[in-house]
Amino acid sequence: MKRNRFGYLAVVMAVAAGLACSAPAVAGETYQLGLSLAITGPTSDAGNPYSKGVEDYMRFANDTGILGDAKIDCPIRDDMYETAVSKRNFEDFLDQGMIFFLSYATGANQALAPDFTEVQIPVIPASMDSSLMKASPYIFLPIASYSHQYVGVAEYVAANHKGDGTAKVAAFIHPSAFGRAPLADFEAAVAAGLKLDLVEVVEHGKDLDNSALLQRLASKGVQYVLCQTVQSPVATLLNDAQRLGMTAKTFGEPGKITFMGAHYTGGNDLIALAGTAAEGFHWTTSYRVTSEKGPWTDWQLDMAKKYGRDDKTANSHNYASGMMAAQVAVEAIRRTREADQKVTKETLYETLNQMNGDKVFTSLAAVGPVTYSTTDRMGVDNVQLYVVKDGVFRSVGQPFKPKYLK
Amino acid sequence: MTYFFQLVVSGIVVGSIYALSALGFVLIYKSSRVLNIAHGQIIAGGAFIVYALTVFVGLPIYVSFVASMVITFFLAMSVERIFLRRLIGEPIISVIMVTIGLMSILNGVIYLTPFGSLNYSFPEFLPTTPISLGGVSISWTQLVGVIITALLIGAFSWFFKRSTIGISMRAVSDDQFAAMSVGISVPRVFGLAWAMAGLSAAGAGAIIGNITGLNFETLGAFGITVFPVVILGGLDSIVGAVVAGIIMGLIQQFAAGYLDGNWGLNGTADVLPYIILLVILLFKPHGLFGTHEIERV
Repeated sequence: MKRNRFGYLAVVMAVAAGLACSAPAVAGETYQLGLSLAITGPTSDAGNPYSKGVEDYMRFANDTGILGDAKIDCPIRDDMYETAVSKRNFEDFLDQGMIFFLSYATGANQALAPDFTEVQIPVIPASMDSSLMKASPYIFLPIASYSHQYVGVAEYVAANHKGDGTAKVAAFIHPSAFGRAPLADFEAAVAAGLKLDLVEVVEHGKDLDNSALLQRLASKGVQYVLCQTVQSPVATLLNDAQRLGMTAKTFGEPGKITFMGAHYTGGNDLIALAGTAAEGFHWTTSYRVTSEKGPWTDWQLDMAKKYGRDDKTANSHNYASGMMAAQVAVEAIRRTREADQKVTKETLYETLNQMNGDKVFTSLAAVGPVTYSTTDRMGVDNVQLYVVKDGVFRSVGQPFKPKYLK
Repeated sequence: MTYFFQLVVSGIVVGSIYALSALGFVLIYKSSRVLNIAHGQIIAGGAFIVYALTVFVGLPIYVSFVASMVITFFLAMSVERIFLRRLIGEPIISVIMVTIGLMSILNGVIYLTPFGSLNYSFPEFLPTTPISLGGVSISWTQLVGVIITALLIGAFSWFFKRSTIGISMRAVSDDQFAAMSVGISVPRVFGLAWAMAGLSAAGAGAIIGNITGLNFETLGAFGITVFPVVILGGLDSIVGAVVAGIIMGLIQQFAAGYLDGNWGLNGTADVLPYIILLVILLFKPHGLFGTHEIERV
């Protein structure tokens, strides 16, 4: 496979520019960060590669001197997806002098939001739940929220549905706040004029066979199932749809069902679980995927190789996600130093809020720039639609911003 | 009617997998009156061993499947020998607490492997085109799963009814002291019960993993998912596990097919089995086929 050398060069140049601009304000300092996430327990299939992405980018930053002779110390602790453990980790990190927190789950962030506000520490979570931005002004989402991804998928359906009348859709969601919150925004979008007919909302269980569900949806004329959950239940759903001959081979194929979903429904893990049944699955995220060669993905794979990661981790979008969260934190520190300010929680918060206009941060890990301000704490606004073709995710069209969400 | 029959077929498929998963609980309870809370972890472990032998070692999947059952047979036997043998005669609650600890240990061990946090799926070894008859379809994976379940349950039933060791196990289950007095080694029987539960768990894990993909969370949770089946069937009855498994499978499919999505109902497929379980237990507290013990005091 031929790599895009110029693009790769651009990544190296960007990093070099960062190095060149990194005249240290205070030489030899160590900045204390912290990451608490689920390396074991529920959702660790996402948390594990995410932690490696953060770890590798921090090592890279220290190895290459992005911050001059200053270093970053970012201990990583497993919270097993338990809010109480996450809180304990957070407090321990604070005792160690943490100035920037990298967090994880929606529930833990909601529980800790008052603490973030109280100690005024900037936080980047792995969760993209839009409610977190309301929970604390110190939480900065790295990319488009679940709601944006979900409504983005829905807007694509509305715009590209070829059949007669309004497209009939069903929502297949996780039985939790993580699953329900984007649905509320989706319903608001429909109320605001998005032309879709939401026929049924399904909160899934641990089903081994979805025949009844799929046949019921088909009998109601559902042509699109929009998923907001994790990969495993989607994989079982796709396998059953394939067995029943219900999967659309092309988008919107009449008489069949096109399956689509937001960030945590897709990625290589879905293909690993569903195999050929994943063909035709449409997925939105703001990250680039390694099946679409480009300067970032080449760099990502090289980093993974350099730090001894296996292929599965190297190609995981959660690995890219962890890298980007670390990248934003490091960039905030770099800019604060560049402005000759002391690097503290407060100055990092200000720096993040100034990431807009001509100060946007372009991370090639995502399909748009990271922009923050006091009124906008969602980093990358764009989402990219991908579809599984021949066992890998391929992009469909250009990145776009959902219109029905502010 | 096609719709109805599809639900019946799906219910039987799901139910028979429930039955095989529940079998491990029953085998251990039948001989030692202990509930093994770590059963889900053994189910997951069995599935991961099949994958590791197939993909990492390169064995044909059929060989891996059998090898996995042999490995878990001895692993479960070792677990009983190391952790539980010393607890013979101790209060049951102590033994159950040990199985909870065992669950934590097994979780930790699995998290040390790539299977703890990464997702995998078995290489395709069966045709992907489903078998359809009159509009009712079943995948090869499901069909093979049902056949293996039937074979394993048939073999276990025969073993308990006809073989000398099986009869010894039943004797221990009925009365440990009486069994000992006629020369049956109770510790040996306990070890064997655990070993056979391990074997059945590996079979169940491989079948479930082939349907859902290999995700530790999903597989590990299955030990708890089938708990209503074990209770409904009667904790010590193999026939009970089969009947209750199929009842639960059918209830779930009919609830999903006829109730969910209508009259504002949702999630009844998950709740209804528990409601029916509660109702049945009101009338049959020992489950459908559980032993009703009458003690003279």
